[in-house]
Amino acid sequence: MLAQRATQQSLRRLAASNPSTASRMVFKNFAAPLAVGSSMHTRPVTTQKMTPADSYEILVAQRKLRPVSPHLTIYQPQMPWIASGLNRITGSVLSGGFYVFGAAYLVSPLFGWHLDSASMAAAFGSLPMALKVATKFVVALPFTFHTMNGLRHLTWDLGKSFANKTVIKTGWVVTGATIASSLYLALLA
Amino acid sequence: MAARLTTRAFTAVRPALRSPMGIRSMATVVHPKSPSQTSTVEEPAASPDAKIKTFHIYRWNPDEPSSKPRMQTYTLDLNKTGPMVLDALIRIKNEVDPTLTFRRSCREGICGSCAMNIDGVNTLACLCRIPNDTKQETKIYPLPHTYVVKDIVPDLTQFYKQYKSIKPYLQHSAPAPDGKEYLQSKEDRKKLDGLYECILCACCSTSCPSYWWNSEEYLGPAVLLQSYRWLADSRDEKKEERKAALDNSMSLYRCHTILNCSRTCPKGLNPGLAIAEIKKEMAF
Amino acid sequence: MASIVRPAMLRQTCLATASKRTFSTKLSSFPAINKPAASVLSRPVVRSAFVRDALPGAIRVAAFHASGRQPILPPLPQVINGTANDAAPVPPANPSHGSYHWTFERLISAGLIPLTIAPFAAGSLNPTMDAILCATILIHSHIGFESIVIDYIPTKRLPKTRVLFWWGLRLATVVVGVGLYEFETNDVGVTEAIKRIWHA
Repeated sequence: MLAQRATQQSLRRLAASNPSTASRMVFKNFAAPLAVGSSMHTRPVTTQKMTPADSYEILVAQRKLRPVSPHLTIYQPQMPWIASGLNRITGSVLSGGFYVFGAAYLVSPLFGWHLDSASMAAAFGSLPMALKVATKFVVALPFTFHTMNGLRHLTWDLGKSFANKTVIKTGWVVTGATIASSLYLALLA
Repeated sequence: MAARLTTRAFTAVRPALRSPMGIRSMATVVHPKSPSQTSTVEEPAASPDAKIKTFHIYRWNPDEPSSKPRMQTYTLDLNKTGPMVLDALIRIKNEVDPTLTFRRSCREGICGSCAMNIDGVNTLACLCRIPNDTKQETKIYPLPHTYVVKDIVPDLTQFYKQYKSIKPYLQHSAPAPDGKEYLQSKEDRKKLDGLYECILCACCSTSCPSYWWNSEEYLGPAVLLQSYRWLADSRDEKKEERKAALDNSMSLYRCHTILNCSRTCPKGLNPGLAIAEIKKEMAF
Repeated sequence: MASIVRPAMLRQTCLATASKRTFSTKLSSFPAINKPAASVLSRPVVRSAFVRDALPGAIRVAAFHASGRQPILPPLPQVINGTANDAAPVPPANPSHGSYHWTFERLISAGLIPLTIAPFAAGSLNPTMDAILCATILIHSHIGFESIVIDYIPTKRLPKTRVLFWWGLRLATVVVGVGLYEFETNDVGVTEAIKRIWHA
């Protein structure tokens, strides 16, 4: 048992130090005992008694040095997680805008900002047409996406349309509907 | 063995005091060097009509803890290699580079050992065909956002501890009426289809962004699917306790129906649906 | 997600303005990475990734955006509590943060559908309905932000930042709520205002 282990180990070491010869050697039986003979005589093996507590300490120390495997950057871009991420991003953008406006309106008298609907409408109305349409599109896009994808999420919460194919299909439907409805809203005079 | 371990631990500690890379106040999520920067290990004795395929494989050796993870490139002749990615890995280990480390056991998709990220998708290497297109290079990483033990071997301790925490066994106080077994109707048995087949390979859990960020407290798709397997079992008597164990902000409700889990499951199960069923049962 | 979203262009623009000296912090200006191992787990080091350092603003921004190789919240070194055979701890049941919260959130989200369609269908909304819509959006936003804080600022990892964001969010929601109340009472109401701006 022990001898067998030693053979294996020395073979492995040899392989590690010189991969090309090792790979050739594996197939030639005569080479293996030769290698074992030479390495077993030259390598003094010492062992050390170790309590389970000590070995556990080693494991704990080892764990702390482990790297974390790559995740977001290597995962294949797929409909489920890209759509879900966009749902969160669009939601944050909309709610963030909502919060910024609400807070700004509250403090506007202090700073003399004109955030009442009449002056905002006047300011927006004075913009050139192309800029108006572009702004409307950029604002409408997160809104329509979050709304449509929200419907998709609510369907899932009812325990429906979970099949992989359905998930991908509804994802594309939402994408199409988002772009179409955003364009419609942007061109709405 | 013990002696080797000790020396390893010491060498692990010593350079850590000097090199900045060793002193990790954070575990590193290192994006390995690009393949062009690393050495290539070539197919031994390539024949002229060889169908050479390139594999880039994530490598990290715990014996050199201060060195960064890297990508190692191997080329194999597909004519001499089996059809699955696991065949390629085994051939690399046997014939090209014996230091390459990975888990494998059954080679037929029932043990879940060879779960890894192949070409950006979590799957079992033994069930994943090598893409026939030799121009396309295959990339192999460990399961995403896991602590790496060595090369493509991830540490799943936390995953198993979480599995244990949901009490994955039948809880029934009274002995079986016939003294042998608890019976259930065919309809009740049918409810377990799509749940009992889970082999706990951790492909789904490690594909879930929510689990990436909160694996300490969120249970993850695989464990929640198992949890539902016992909630859906007509013979189990502790449903309320099981639900109460999930009724907090972290264990279950970090699921935002991203559905990477259902997309990636190599056994074709639907953990996302199982989680939705738990949420429904607990809501009304 | 943030690492993808963060625009590479912004990073480069910021870098161009920053001095060459910034590059000497190469790995990043996050001091956490260069501190000795002894202080590995002490909280100040972890927290310092979020605390402003003495660098001037532009350089700080540049350093933040230049640190693309370092994720914003790198995971901590692996620590396993107990042996591999101990089950992970089960938190105490708390339905108001669990099942009730989830159900409430779904009802709010579902309620937003008719409330969003109504102004489109009816052309305008009466002030009460407009106020209800506003309040529902506010609650929906608050729950959404809460969920973002829970996801990305774990209590175990950044206890003080978590508390800061948690209460900061509540404060913000109250402030915004008051602001919207002012808007609803002094102005024409949110749907009407959006309509006017849209048609401006």
